[in-house]
Amino acid sequence: MVEAGSGRYLFAVTRGLGDTDLAGVTGMRGAALALVRHRDLEAVVCDVDLAEFGEAALARNLEDLAWLEEVARAHNDVVFAAASRGTVAPMRLVTIYADDDSVRTRIEELHDRLTEALDRVEGRREWSVKVFTTASGPARADEDAPAAVGSGPGSGAAYLRRKREQATRRQAAREQSIELAGKVHDELAARAVATRQLAPQDPRLTGHTETMLLNGAYLVPIDEGEQFRATVDRLGTLHPELTLEVEGPWPPYSFATLD
Amino acid sequence: MTELTSTTRTTAELPGSPQISLVDLLDRLLGTGVVLAGDVLISLAGVDLVQVRLHALITTVRSDLARPEQRGG
Repeated sequence: MVEAGSGRYLFAVTRGLGDTDLAGVTGMRGAALALVRHRDLEAVVCDVDLAEFGEAALARNLEDLAWLEEVARAHNDVVFAAASRGTVAPMRLVTIYADDDSVRTRIEELHDRLTEALDRVEGRREWSVKVFTTASGPARADEDAPAAVGSGPGSGAAYLRRKREQATRRQAAREQSIELAGKVHDELAARAVATRQLAPQDPRLTGHTETMLLNGAYLVPIDEGEQFRATVDRLGTLHPELTLEVEGPWPPYSFATLD
Repeated sequence: MTELTSTTRTTAELPGSPQISLVDLLDRLLGTGVVLAGDVLISLAGVDLVQVRLHALITTVRSDLARPEQRGG
């Protein structure tokens, strides 16, 4: 079943955007962006074809990784542009309304909660910090550990003991890494207004062979961003047994939530 | 129409959107952010289901991509 007509794709609800602030930025599939104003807020929207963005089409398209990536990147580009001009509460992907009146109704319903969310993120950016075990770090240090003294190659009991010791060391190393990652998080949290721990990503998705111990999001005042980055660098130097990856500044995706 | 001048803003320019990895992007665009029920499309519960399916999908596709280059775009 193909739905006919067009809908309004909502990228973000913003505060402080001027009518020309998004000039030159396009929406989904090159559609023109529009600001739907309601009270002191704006909704950043564009038209989408329901043959592509209708419910039936989405069920299919969301399983197509190439489609998903294009749409996610287009969404992200608009959110970035809006975030450099005003305060943004980014919407989840593919939030679509029938028309502008529908958008206004929803903003009216949620006005106070949207305002709280915008207050929380105003003047702030999101930074991502991921912590991995290092290949040479404690979590791997057991692999080539020398055999325990006195164990001969022919001794089954010694072999088992060595295996047990290895397992114990591996477990201890893992706990040590997790504890260290927790300390890194605490240090970063002390420099952030808010934090959020996302689920560690699967190594098959990250391209890292090392285990991701922490997938943290940190909300940091705009003018403290470089300081935050420097803190991550310092912690990375301080803990060579961990690999720290820092990215940002990003729009406050993880913090503009309705509580 | 409300006119706002760009001289009094407290927000600093964000450098043009960098290459955020798709995984990071989907973590945020599907896992966090403001969740509003759309009008006619994808119920809230539906979104969560989609998300679960997506992660499974990405895992599959990624392991495919780890093999020799394919998928022309």
